[in-house]
Amino acid sequence: MNRDMEPRPATPSGTPQREWSRFKFPDSLIGYGIWLSILVFLAYTVEYLDIPLDRLLGMFGRLGTTLADRYYPPDINYIMDADYLEYVIETIQMAYLGALFGLLASIPLGWFGSYNMTPSRLFVYPIARFISMGCRAVHEMIWAILFVTIIGFGMLPGVLALMFFSTGFAAKLFAEEIEAIDMGQVDAMRASGANLFQIMIFGVFPQVRVAFTGIAIYTWDVAFRAATVVGFFGAGGMGWYLKRNILQIETERVAAILLSIIFLVLISEVISAWARARVMTMK
Amino acid sequence: MAVLEVRDLRARYSASGPEILKGISFRVEADDFFAIIGPSGAGKSTLIRCINRLVEPSGGEILFYDREVTKLRGRQLRMLRRDMGMIFQEFNLIDRMSVMDNVLSGRLGYTSNLRSLFRAFPRDDIQHALSLLDRVGLLEHVDKRADKLSGGQRQRVGIARALMQNPKLLLVDEPTSALDPKISREVMALIKQMATELKVPCLCNIHDVQLAMEFCNKIIGLQDGNKMFDGPTKEMDQAMLDQIYDMEVL
Repeated sequence: MNRDMEPRPATPSGTPQREWSRFKFPDSLIGYGIWLSILVFLAYTVEYLDIPLDRLLGMFGRLGTTLADRYYPPDINYIMDADYLEYVIETIQMAYLGALFGLLASIPLGWFGSYNMTPSRLFVYPIARFISMGCRAVHEMIWAILFVTIIGFGMLPGVLALMFFSTGFAAKLFAEEIEAIDMGQVDAMRASGANLFQIMIFGVFPQVRVAFTGIAIYTWDVAFRAATVVGFFGAGGMGWYLKRNILQIETERVAAILLSIIFLVLISEVISAWARARVMTMK
Repeated sequence: MAVLEVRDLRARYSASGPEILKGISFRVEADDFFAIIGPSGAGKSTLIRCINRLVEPSGGEILFYDREVTKLRGRQLRMLRRDMGMIFQEFNLIDRMSVMDNVLSGRLGYTSNLRSLFRAFPRDDIQHALSLLDRVGLLEHVDKRADKLSGGQRQRVGIARALMQNPKLLLVDEPTSALDPKISREVMALIKQMATELKVPCLCNIHDVQLAMEFCNKIIGLQDGNKMFDGPTKEMDQAMLDQIYDMEVL
């Protein structure tokens, strides 16, 4: 069949043929250039790091046998031990304290570091952003090492490390949530003569409450995962068990510990889903 | 004494940007229900928002009961805003709070921080809110979340919230443009009725000329930041309307 026979969208008669392309000349060139440079840099990186691609492909076979030979069966009795469970509870408490105080610090930091609601764009905003960025820039393990060095072994450096980590994590997310609110409600509160604090309570907080709760729960999840390993550096919790068993090549115990971590994170995920649903319908 | 006197009001959103208001002057008397009409982009919203300083004027004077308001800051500015109720085009209710809390939020200018934090409003305010909700016909919805209401009901909450302030002036920004024609008329009638009853003068942006002619006793016609007309509604005629809406600024 002749292609000309196919139906075409009707066009008003008498209008001239026009050219149109989504990306016009300089933009299109830049766009292709960016994609090309990403590919080139990828190839360069693989080449530079001398990544042996054949070993990468063979990895999965070995992964299976290693897991089957050494990590199976997990030593469940080991993690049912009262001493271990005590450390699990210590880890949970450490994560709880760290996340709680971190979140408490994040609320004012997020407020002050949000461009639309900050009390002062010139002074308070950059300071708040700097603090939250500083907390985030340092990895939680580095915080743990730092605090162990300063105040010695135990729970306290772990809690402090998790607190700084949670603060950096949540303050940025809180600030972003506040920056995304509908300013109409804020205008309405301003128009009623409310002060900045009252505007936050009535105009801003109801809009971000669900998101804040989600972020808070997510922060707890992340803090808990971090809490399981800060013990590596002597900052308390079950990380110490993990480290000891890894060093002693007690792989079946390591497997059991990893299982217990997955199990605890799963539980906190279920609780977080439930809590989010509750907050959604709250008045 | 005029409730509000505006002299040579100018506004622009950035120092290099175009001037949105190019020297507007008018007077609002105690029994006025003013309509501000004009095409989109004429500066109607900007004008309303300059009066309670949601938008900062770049020049001119605003006298509210003979008090210059363009230089007020901090607490004094909040005291000024407390005396001006505002009703919004998009209602601007707190969606996730109840109707009652929304109406009570009109009292924030009179409420301490501690009470605000726990939403513990004085008993008198609660009584006042209930009687206003009765008047706007929402008494049975008092515990509903604001986002569960229809458009007309939401605007009624907005009206009750503005009146909760015991305002000395009502600023009304396109109260009907998100509503259908029948509800629009009801909402305008309600605003007019409450304003008359409580003796609050009104300054009302409205793009619907018919509603303006019907409900308002005076009209200001704006076009591209200039005042084209200012007078009693009965002096407005078709020739003037054609002139005001002649230049569409999009």
